[in-house]
Amino acid sequence: MISPNTLVILAGTTALGICCGLVGALMLLRRRALLSDALAHATLPGVCIAFLLSGSRSTIVLGVGALISALIGAALVSWLPRFSRVRRDSATACILGILFGAGIALSAIIQRSGPGAAAAGLDSLLLGRAAGMLRSEAMLLGGCALVMSLLVLVLRKELLVSCFDPLFGRCSGQPTGALDLLQTALLAGTVVLALPAVGVVLTAALVVIPPAAARFWTDRFDSLLRISALLGAVSGMLGTAISSGHPELPAGPVIVLSATSFFTLSLLIAPKRGLIARKLRSSARKQQREVRRILHALLLASEQDLHSLSTDQIVAGSVSASPRALKQAIIDGFIERQGDRLQLKPLGSERARRARKSQEIWREWLTSEAAIDRDLIDLDEEDIEKLLPLELVRSLENSIELRKTTT
Amino acid sequence: MIKPAVEIHDLTVAYREKPVLWDIDVVIPEGSLCAIVGPNGAGKTTLLSSILGTIKPASGWLKIFDQPIEESEELIGFVPQRESVDWDFPVEVLDVVMMGTYRRLGWFRRPGKAQHDWAMECLEAVGMADLHRRQIGELSGGQQQRVFIARALAQDARLFLMDEPFAGVDAATEDAIRHVLEDLKRQGRTVILVHHDLQTIEQFFDHVLLLNLRLIASGPTMETFTRKNLLRTYGGRLTLLDEAAEAVRRIRTGGGGGGGS
Repeated sequence: MISPNTLVILAGTTALGICCGLVGALMLLRRRALLSDALAHATLPGVCIAFLLSGSRSTIVLGVGALISALIGAALVSWLPRFSRVRRDSATACILGILFGAGIALSAIIQRSGPGAAAAGLDSLLLGRAAGMLRSEAMLLGGCALVMSLLVLVLRKELLVSCFDPLFGRCSGQPTGALDLLQTALLAGTVVLALPAVGVVLTAALVVIPPAAARFWTDRFDSLLRISALLGAVSGMLGTAISSGHPELPAGPVIVLSATSFFTLSLLIAPKRGLIARKLRSSARKQQREVRRILHALLLASEQDLHSLSTDQIVAGSVSASPRALKQAIIDGFIERQGDRLQLKPLGSERARRARKSQEIWREWLTSEAAIDRDLIDLDEEDIEKLLPLELVRSLENSIELRKTTT
Repeated sequence: MIKPAVEIHDLTVAYREKPVLWDIDVVIPEGSLCAIVGPNGAGKTTLLSSILGTIKPASGWLKIFDQPIEESEELIGFVPQRESVDWDFPVEVLDVVMMGTYRRLGWFRRPGKAQHDWAMECLEAVGMADLHRRQIGELSGGQQQRVFIARALAQDARLFLMDEPFAGVDAATEDAIRHVLEDLKRQGRTVILVHHDLQTIEQFFDHVLLLNLRLIASGPTMETFTRKNLLRTYGGRLTLLDEAAEAVRRIRTGGGGGGGS
C-alpha cells in the first residue's frame, strides 16, 4: 500500500514536473535550453557556502544558497557576452564548468572537515533523492512549483511574444528586459526546486526533455505548454513511484528515464513530425513518383501507337521502375495487365496527361519569372492551382500554348 | 503646414564607438509614404530602430507626433525583417496576427472574439484569411511577409515602420503590400519603410529619405529623388549608378505615377 508520506512526495514531484515542463518549454523556444544545465550546476557552490556559513542542513537555507548562486550564474552568462567578445554559448559552458568545479572543490573541503552525515546530505544533491524527501520538503517544493507554473500560465500571452519576436514585443510596449529577467528567475527557481528530487546533474534533463518531446505533437504554443507540462508531471510521478518501490534506484535517474521514454516514443510515433510518419510520407512520395514515371512511359508509347508494353520494358530498360510501384499502379486502376503486356486504362492516361501538364507549367513558371518565391515550388504537386494563384496558372498555360503553336 | 509625424534632430548612433548614423536632421510629415533609401550598411535599419526607441542614440533627440520618444506612449505598427524570427516556432498564422492586439488588450487578459475578428479582418486585407490555421513554417516567404504586415495592421497604429517588406517576395505579395500601403495612405497614416528597389520608388512613395551614414537628402519624391542626390548616396558604384540613372530617366519622362507598367 502507498503510505500518505509517499502520496505527498508523489504530489510534490508531479507539481515539480509540471513546472519543469512549462519553464522548459519557454527555454526551448528561446533556444536557451543549455542555460538550464548551467544554472543547475551553478547551484552547487551556493549550497556549499550556505552550509559553511550557517552550519545548518535545513532545506530552506540550502535552497536560498542555491538560488542565489544560480542567479549569479545567470547574470554572468548574460553579462559576459555583452561586455566581452565571448559568445553566449561559450559563456554558458564556461560558467557551468567554473561554478560546478568550485562547488565540487567546496564540497570536498566540507567532506574533509565536517561530520560525515552533513557531507552525505550534500552528496545526495548530485543525484537527488525524491523518494527520501521529508513530507514538509515535498510540500514546500510542490507549492513553489505550482505558484511558478501558475505565473507562466497567467502570463503566457506576454511570454509568447517575448519568445517569438522580442523586438516586436518591445515596440508594442512590452518591458522586454523585465520579461527576460522573469524567465531567467523562473528557470533559476525551477532548477533549485528540482535539486532535492532530481539532483544537480540531471535537472537539465527534466527541464529540456518534456518540451522537446511535446514539440513533436503540436504546432501551437498553448498546446506545447500543456503537453510539456503533462509529460513533465507524468515523468515526475512515474519516476518517484518506481523509485519508492525500489530503494536501490535513485529517483533522479528514474524520473529522467521515464521522460526519456516519452521522448523516444514521440520521436518515433508522433503523427506529423515523428520519424515513422516522415519515413512513410517520403516513401509514399517516392512511390507516387515511380507510378508517374510508369504511366508516362505508357502514355508516350500509346502516342506512338503502341497500345501496350511488356512488363520487362517497364521494369527493366530505360524506365526501370520498381515492381512495387507497378503493382500499386495496377491496384489503383491506372494500368491493366494482360498476360505479359501492360496497357493504360482511361483513368491512367488521364492521370499521366495531368502530371505531364503540371510539369510543363512548373517548368514554364520557373523559367518565366525572375522573382520566384522558392518556397512555393513543389514539383510533385499535380494540382498546381493549390500552390499558385489561378490567374498565374492560366497565363502560364497560355504562354505554353503560344509557344507550341509557333514552333 | 502639415504636422510632422517624426522629427529627428542631431541624431548620432554608434555601435562600439563606430558611428552608424551621423548627425541626422529630418522631419517626416504626417500622412506620407516615405521610403528610406541607401546602400547596404547605410544605417537604414538603425534609423528605424531609433524611431522605434530600441536603440539609444549617442546624441540628439527624436519626437513622434510632437512627443519625445522617451515619453511617447504612441503605438507604432512594426514589420521587422523576415529573417528576424524563427519560422519553425509553434504558432499559427492567426496567433501571430493576434499579437498585434495585445498592447491594447493589456496584461493578463486573454484575446476574445473581438480580437479574433479584427485579426481575421487584417488577414483578409493581405489576402491570407484562408490560411489562418497554418503553422507559420508551412508558408512561403511572401506569405510570411504578409503575415507580418497583417500583424502590424492589427496594431491599428498612426505610424508604421517596415523593414524591407518588399525584399524577395513574389508578385502576389508585392501587390498585396502595395494595396495595404495605398489604404494606409488614404486613411492618412504615416508609413516609413526601408526600400531597396530604386525602380519602384517613384511609383510607390511620395516621400524619400536618402541615407548613407549621414542624411543626403529628404523630401517629396519629385524634388528629392534626383540623379545628383542618388550619386551622392551611392557614390561611384557602377551597377547601382545604371539603375539610378534608369530610375531618374523614368521620373523625368513618366512623371509621378507613370513608370513602365
